[in-house]
Amino acid sequence: MEHIRLPKVENVRLLDRVSPRRSRVGTLYLTATHTIFVENEAGVRPLWIDILVCSVEKQAATASGCSLLVRCKNFQVLHFVVPRERECHDVHLSLQRLSQPERCEELYCFSYKPNVDEAERRQEWDFLDLKADYSRMGLPNSLWKFSPVNQHYKVSDTYPADLFVPQSATPPVIVGSSKFRSRGRFPTLSYYSKENHAAICRSSQPLSGFSARCLEDEQMLEAILRSNPRSDFMYVVDTRPKLNAIANRAAGKGYENEDNYSNIKFQFIGIENIHVMRNSQQKMLEVCELRSPSMSDFLEGLESSGWLKHIKAVLDAGIFIAKAVAEEGVSVLVHCSDGWDRTAQVCSVASVLLDPHYRTLRGLMVLIEKDWVSFGHKFSHRCNHLVGDPKEVSPAIDQFLESVWQLMEQFPCAFEFNARFLITIHSHVYSCQYGNFIGNNQRERVELRLRERTHSLWSYLWKNQTDYINPLYRPDHSQTQGLLRPSTAPYCFKSWRGLYNRFDPGMHPRQSVEDYLSAIQEETQQLEEQLASHKQVEKAVSFDRSPTAWALGSDLGLANTPQDYTGCFVTSSPCQPKAPDGSLVLLTQDSNLSNGSDQESGIADVSCRSPLSEDSTRDPDSDEAAYSAA
Amino acid sequence: MFPVKPMKPTFKCYLPPLQTDVKKTIEPPIKKLEPKLLQGEIVVNEVNFVRKCIGAESSQDDLWGKLICTNFKVSFIPSEVPSKQKSYLSHLLLGEHDIPLTCLEQVVTVNDTKGKKKILGSNQKLKFNPTELILYCKDLRIIRFCFRETGPDSAKKVCLAIAHYSHPADLPLLFGFEYQGRRYHESKGQRVNGASPRGGLRTPIFDRPSDWDREIKRTGALEWRVCSINESYAISPSLPEHFVVPVSLADQDLKKHSIYFMNQRIPLWCWNHPNGSALVRMASIGDPLQQRKIDQKIFSAITKSHPQRSEVIKSDLDKCLPNIQDIQSAFTKIRQICVIDPFEESEERWLSSIENTRWLEYVRAFLKHSAEMLYLMEGKNTSVILQEEEDRDLNCVVSSLVQLMLDPHYRSLIGFQSLVQKEWVMAGHRFLDRCNHLKKNDKDESPLFILFLDCVWQMMNQYPAAFEFTEAYLTVLSDSMWIPLFSTFLFNSPKQRAQHLVDFAKNKAIPQGEDQVVYFPPVWDWSQQFSAKDQTLFNNPMYVGKGVACVQNGEVKSFRRTKKMYSSTLRGTPASLRNGLKVGEDSLTRRGSLVSELKPDFSLVRDESPSERFFRDWFSRPADQQSLLIPLLMPSHLALWKLFFLRWVPEACISKGGPITAYHKLSQLVDEIEILQSKLRQYKGPSPGGTPLPSSSGPLSDQRRMYFKASFPPSPPDFLTSSFPFTPMGNLCRRSGYGTPISKFLNGARIWLSTETLANDAL
Repeated sequence: MEHIRLPKVENVRLLDRVSPRRSRVGTLYLTATHTIFVENEAGVRPLWIDILVCSVEKQAATASGCSLLVRCKNFQVLHFVVPRERECHDVHLSLQRLSQPERCEELYCFSYKPNVDEAERRQEWDFLDLKADYSRMGLPNSLWKFSPVNQHYKVSDTYPADLFVPQSATPPVIVGSSKFRSRGRFPTLSYYSKENHAAICRSSQPLSGFSARCLEDEQMLEAILRSNPRSDFMYVVDTRPKLNAIANRAAGKGYENEDNYSNIKFQFIGIENIHVMRNSQQKMLEVCELRSPSMSDFLEGLESSGWLKHIKAVLDAGIFIAKAVAEEGVSVLVHCSDGWDRTAQVCSVASVLLDPHYRTLRGLMVLIEKDWVSFGHKFSHRCNHLVGDPKEVSPAIDQFLESVWQLMEQFPCAFEFNARFLITIHSHVYSCQYGNFIGNNQRERVELRLRERTHSLWSYLWKNQTDYINPLYRPDHSQTQGLLRPSTAPYCFKSWRGLYNRFDPGMHPRQSVEDYLSAIQEETQQLEEQLASHKQVEKAVSFDRSPTAWALGSDLGLANTPQDYTGCFVTSSPCQPKAPDGSLVLLTQDSNLSNGSDQESGIADVSCRSPLSEDSTRDPDSDEAAYSAA
Repeated sequence: MFPVKPMKPTFKCYLPPLQTDVKKTIEPPIKKLEPKLLQGEIVVNEVNFVRKCIGAESSQDDLWGKLICTNFKVSFIPSEVPSKQKSYLSHLLLGEHDIPLTCLEQVVTVNDTKGKKKILGSNQKLKFNPTELILYCKDLRIIRFCFRETGPDSAKKVCLAIAHYSHPADLPLLFGFEYQGRRYHESKGQRVNGASPRGGLRTPIFDRPSDWDREIKRTGALEWRVCSINESYAISPSLPEHFVVPVSLADQDLKKHSIYFMNQRIPLWCWNHPNGSALVRMASIGDPLQQRKIDQKIFSAITKSHPQRSEVIKSDLDKCLPNIQDIQSAFTKIRQICVIDPFEESEERWLSSIENTRWLEYVRAFLKHSAEMLYLMEGKNTSVILQEEEDRDLNCVVSSLVQLMLDPHYRSLIGFQSLVQKEWVMAGHRFLDRCNHLKKNDKDESPLFILFLDCVWQMMNQYPAAFEFTEAYLTVLSDSMWIPLFSTFLFNSPKQRAQHLVDFAKNKAIPQGEDQVVYFPPVWDWSQQFSAKDQTLFNNPMYVGKGVACVQNGEVKSFRRTKKMYSSTLRGTPASLRNGLKVGEDSLTRRGSLVSELKPDFSLVRDESPSERFFRDWFSRPADQQSLLIPLLMPSHLALWKLFFLRWVPEACISKGGPITAYHKLSQLVDEIEILQSKLRQYKGPSPGGTPLPSSSGPLSDQRRMYFKASFPPSPPDFLTSSFPFTPMGNLCRRSGYGTPISKFLNGARIWLSTETLANDAL
């Protein structure tokens, strides 16, 4: 609180982006974690700005007051006019300071205390278990083993403690290899395909310079190759543009020389570095912010930002790796420079393409936990959680989430989750409300004792999974099984309005197929229940079946009992909570659901349950929760 | 050799001589291959041992067979039916490899060894023996045949025949006249038995007063009347015989005024808003002296027909929308980048290429202008006159879009067809010239109707439940323009149609008094082209219509599906329009300084215009399917109509993906609902409150509304692609058989941009 120079400013105008006349007048409150705008008009809910403030810009004072432009990390842009220059100055400085905490302890997750008891809070952190995912892949087995070599983060302080390595990789080989890799990030397993034994491994760049070699590193790659018995070569994918990789050689880093490693095929995939990506996103956001762009402002602006081109590069790399694994049965080692940005993107995109499990709710969470959180994507730096070097900031995780969204657009039935799920994850990556994305690597998180002091996003998402289910998902269908083969024709990449313009009212389609499907499913269920109840009544009244009814039923080739029918349907539509016993329970649950949706919009309800109250205009519960937390 | 652009010396390397090994592996089979001919269709020329190139990396998938030119189509009959997936939509009149002659845009012959090519017109000579024939089709297919194993003379002959027959000298030579004559006589017997008026067609044709009368009543246009002064086309050659005018204007006045209008096209009533405002279209008045006078008279008559005597606003479309040449050139360019330029070359600048075509900008301009008209009628309660020089092009697009936005009736299948009939066919849109069926005057060619369909698709894309029909329907409708068997798209005006059909009836011994709709049917009788099952692809599973009723607890309850369907905004805050629509914004100014726009300038206090406020208010309310529908028009809301533009492009195809997968699942669910409803009815008996479903006896499997049926256990996996129900296979796009982009092969000639014949066979 000591950073707040002025906790309350009255008569602040919040300008409407479209028409300035429609501004709202109210009081602005500053707290340590939230900024709250309470409109003077009675009955209007306060507007909450979470600690997502990204930048605050003060503009020249005018007769009507002093302008303050607040940009948030979730792409919300707010324009306040504060009547007095002095107040504006104070608010500006306060917000600026609040948006850049200096110490970890200032982060919201340490003060976020929802009404959950300690046992439950601890359970939250046990919700995801990476070891369980490795055993789902069939590990350990005769080819891959668990390695304790990085316990206490001795070999690589940015790697997780628990790692899988080839069966034949001995500790001296691992340690030797790690000495030849940037930050000690030696090749280790990211994904293993139990069908054909091909694997995706990841590392950082080798310290090869112009001619350096390392026997252990060569043995390490040999060991990876040997862990795929059916294959006589492996790919080494450097996700950087070739020029960047060559430039690194001068600094004693670089890339693998095909001559030194037996049976590798080396491949560059030109994904640009974090600085290019940061600037590209900035330009793209400027285009999205245009107030009344012409067709050419928009299309040319979007193109010159290069953003979609970069998304395509990430997806292309993922496709290359997924095809190598699934179609050729060849293992792949992926790296970039440090192996925590592009490598994380590419490995996780490839996993989504390869394995339907990662296209489920739980699967995507595990994937982010594994390839991003545990392998040391530097969330604190990249998301600018604490005041730091602005050059360390980059939207790597945004690009991963967007790649998944682009895939969802191409395969609307292949994902168990919806876009809201991705957007919610995105918000919380930046919100610091949960402990999951604090710190730059596992070691830092252990030191911060996040598991003891904060809450986990994953179990929150899981508890609210009904909000995140894609009603079109069909797990049972050939369309959604196996390797996804997306098109990377340029027409397939579109601007993700739902994320980058999510706070622009009027920017969103007012109907979506998903909403309809939910309604249709509801309708089907009601009909099934009626049918079932009719049948029960009929059974009770008489054992005589109406001959016409059953004749029609069998004509249509339907199952003859309502139970079969319901069961079959319900399994294919996971969005409806499955009732353990029969249709009566379904009925009550269903009526709850429809009551909820009788508020103005089903989707509004959904965000109501989010403690991150970006939707505060109609969200009494979470407002109060957050307020008391503040 | 190429006077326009000299041939690159590398020309040959684009076509590596792979033929030799092709010969080894595939022996051209000798088999008698018979074409499937329609009534009256005759084979003009044919040639055997032709290879149809399939647009894949290798020549492996190529088909051998016979190439046939008839007086109706170019047909290819493969000697072996490939085991691969056939196209889903089977056309009753055309085979998978058939192209109607009217669908041919350009016939290009190539001799790759000599490095020669020529675009063939009618009655031309060909001085080289073609080794290849490339057909550019108006439905955006590109098809390539290879004559490597063919006798050189017969190859040349078939190419010349195709070129000749695709350039008919006169309208009655189009095959439809032959076909419908035969069909009329041969099916006469059946018709007499089950005779229903107009062959059972439910779409109003607007060729008789009763159709207009019904429309007047439906829209409550009390102060308007049907006027028949143009009977026998006595006044105007391009107006229909019957149309609707203000009650206060007498026939005499109309006749008097008519001479001042271009083509004597006096104002034509289109539609009435429930609030009394009318939508009227008219041509411009040439004489500026008369103009004010006549305008005043027309205005006051329309005002008198308004219950509140509300004012009239005239919108001159020529001044604010692109003209037909602009639209044609935009279409040519977008076609080029979608189906000819290789994606590998365009991907870096895909968005700017799309932008450069200006197609989406034009689509947006038309939607935007129509929304402005909607605002005047709905928000300001004024009547609107759409004015265009001839009243036969832009007016068709805008008047039909305004009605589509305002009146849910037109979003049903029958309603939509009646709209096209009313605002396009009967209003005298020059389909013959704009489609360039006779290939006589390229300057008149313009894809106005396709532009309209694209606008409809944009609305459909934003409101997926508002339309009874699907994008497959819109695509199939656009394809039907190139099949010369239906009276809908063949003529420039109702008068021309009437004249030709009278002559036709005389020539074909069709008794006088027989209904034109019966002897030369419009496209709206879809059973001519598709089976009942395939027609179910037109049905949108999400369409709610007037509310799907359902029997519940003995009462008829209608599901309020609409209730939770609006607003997909994640926040659920009241949505409002963000400058999507703005009055008077110069929709066509381009390349406004992006830099100055980029800085959000908050010092500029610009107030909202009344129309902006109107749209914003509308967008902040829940959308009602059965009321008006306003499209969102920020650039990011407009999308490329992929099914239409990219369906034939193999590289653009997403296997097991695309919107069709969602359609598939929704259809199955809706089918399931319908089965359940019919089962419920078995328990309930006939429902007292009305019949909820079209067929009261419950949908039998062949009457079911959905193409994809619910099945138990789940049906065997459907292999769907984003091109469904079309198959890109067998249509050469971009790549030659050897992975060479066809654009390179064509050596930069950009032949779709120019119809100029390369005179490379001059010597």
